[in-house]
Amino acid sequence: MNAETNIFAGLDMARLDKRRRRINRIMLSLTAVATLFAVIPLFWITIYVIIKGGSYLNLDLFIHLPQAMGTEGGGVLHAIEGSAVMVLFASIFAIPPALLAAFYLLHHPNTPLANFLRFSTDLLSGIPSIVVGLFGYAVIVIVQKHYSALAGSVVLAIIMLPVILRSAEEMLKLVPQELREGALALGSPEWKSALTVVLPAAAEGVVTGIMLGIARAAGETAPLIFTALGNDNYEIFQYIRQTIQYRQGVGEAFKLILEQPTDALPLTLWKYAQQPYPERVQQAWAVALVLMLFVLSLNIAARLWLAKRRRQRYG
Amino acid sequence: MAKKLWLILALVLTLSMVLTSCGGGQPVSPAGGQPAGSAGAITLNGAGATFPLPVYTEWIQMYKAVQPDVTLNYQGIGSGGGQKAILDGTVDFAGSDSLLKDDQYAQMPDLQMLPMLAGAVVPIYNVPGVDDLVLDGPTLVDIFMAKITNWNDPAIAALNPDAQLPDAPIVVAHRSDGSGTTEIFTSYLGAVSQEWTDNVGVGKAVEWPADANGQGVGGKGNPGVAQAVQSTPNSIGYVELAYAKSNGITFADMINAAGNRVTANAETMQDAMAAFADAFSDRLTAKIVNAPGEKSWPIMGYTYMIIHMQENQDCAKTKALLDYIQWAISDPAAAQKAADLGYATLPDAVRDLVMAKLQEVQCNGQKVLP
Repeated sequence: MNAETNIFAGLDMARLDKRRRRINRIMLSLTAVATLFAVIPLFWITIYVIIKGGSYLNLDLFIHLPQAMGTEGGGVLHAIEGSAVMVLFASIFAIPPALLAAFYLLHHPNTPLANFLRFSTDLLSGIPSIVVGLFGYAVIVIVQKHYSALAGSVVLAIIMLPVILRSAEEMLKLVPQELREGALALGSPEWKSALTVVLPAAAEGVVTGIMLGIARAAGETAPLIFTALGNDNYEIFQYIRQTIQYRQGVGEAFKLILEQPTDALPLTLWKYAQQPYPERVQQAWAVALVLMLFVLSLNIAARLWLAKRRRQRYG
Repeated sequence: MAKKLWLILALVLTLSMVLTSCGGGQPVSPAGGQPAGSAGAITLNGAGATFPLPVYTEWIQMYKAVQPDVTLNYQGIGSGGGQKAILDGTVDFAGSDSLLKDDQYAQMPDLQMLPMLAGAVVPIYNVPGVDDLVLDGPTLVDIFMAKITNWNDPAIAALNPDAQLPDAPIVVAHRSDGSGTTEIFTSYLGAVSQEWTDNVGVGKAVEWPADANGQGVGGKGNPGVAQAVQSTPNSIGYVELAYAKSNGITFADMINAAGNRVTANAETMQDAMAAFADAFSDRLTAKIVNAPGEKSWPIMGYTYMIIHMQENQDCAKTKALLDYIQWAISDPAAAQKAADLGYATLPDAVRDLVMAKLQEVQCNGQKVLP
């Protein structure tokens, strides 16, 4: 009793309390300001792009190939299709090895190979994308003697790979060991438990990682300058029609689609934005909006799908 | 749900297919029902200088009507990028404003530069109250040397007796990136002034004396310089004529080497090119700054296409490329389009040189053109 009263003796409790509250208020508002600063760029960019790009957005943009410079009209169909093709093939190249490697890391987390794998994926994700592009130029473009969607897909896959691998590993690690062991105890082979028990349990995180990887690849410009180059005439439906018309095989269609210089949305944005013609700069803004909406809708679609899945599974 | 998604996807795909087939790019219809992929459909890929990009894309569009089965693709990645691409063999042709170096010729002796067009560089200015300005070479040099630092300098006043020149320091805008425009502009300043050549030099990027004085401002690309000039009162800069024209930017006249006041346009550019028609080296390159002609615009340069003189593979492709180049430099509609965009087309004498050179191109040891 005495000791306690002694500690607070001579202190004005009411004043102390007021001071504490004041400091609390100040710090709270400081964190609020900091949060605002973190959020402002996102909304600023989004709103700015919507305002600048929105007024130039029209149907032509999605269904026409580019016109000559300095003339009104025309679209960026070539870039939309090129982006779709390259991101699709990059995903095909990157996702299977990334998931397999993630499973390896899950099962053998502490072997020298696993440590080496982790270390090298970290290094890989740190390599500037333009260097990856130069690599693609040296290894694919110079060897093949032409720029191509294939070369673009490969460099995009290299950029996607570490993003997907590391997030998949983290997500698979969260699946309780007992689940997998239970499946194994019931006589399921390892691959089956991986595919039907572990992967579905971690699906949400893995899919989010894949989406992040795709979004990253869809926005890359620098590596494509060296590998895909750009092509104002790229139109896959025309290539498909053409091969059907002349009764050529599927191989010929794939060759036309994959073995030609190809455009992409960020590449077109970069090229158009530095053109002297106002029409091109306006289209660049519209392309920026399309690119942003593409990445955004990919994100939102994935989230919606995941939310639905979660509702179905957990009621 | 999954089924529905697929249905929607299929719907979107067919819809876009239908839309593109009625509205979008015309389907390639190889002549004479030839199957695509054989000699019927040819794709030529090129890359390089951005300076001629606007007219090249126009020409490529126009050429679709001339030769429906030949598709050209030209991407503006810069002169240096174009030179590297053709040396690496990754393109069929390249575009370049700057000349190949000796070691590049040594690496690939069959490379040939062909002048395709010329373009002018113009001084642009923003001086409140002044909408008509003329400068001569030495004055322009002194301004960019930061020797003339005020708009009311006697040298400028003597050239512009009627202008209300303000007592204000001159801000000098220039390219911050390496650029063929800077190379043409500094070539001119160097041609006028030995001092410029010795102290500043000629090239894609130089150390601007005005920067050292704190009176310089850099801008990326033509838009950057134009933006800097338009937003800075009492400034001067330089951009390509094609850029100034398409964006309605006023530019200064010049007193040329013959002592006449000239403005940059098709006529004065042609005059300068004609004055230098005999100046071509064996490699078909020429500098055309500070031309001596009566009406010559003094700040100009050629832009070139780089091709191989000896092809060893698909001769149909080589033929298609040569046909295209011949069309581009001789078709009246193509020339008109170039002139509309602010470029100057080749004088007859120069075109004859290029045509003669095209005749020498060989594929697998055979002449390609008849």
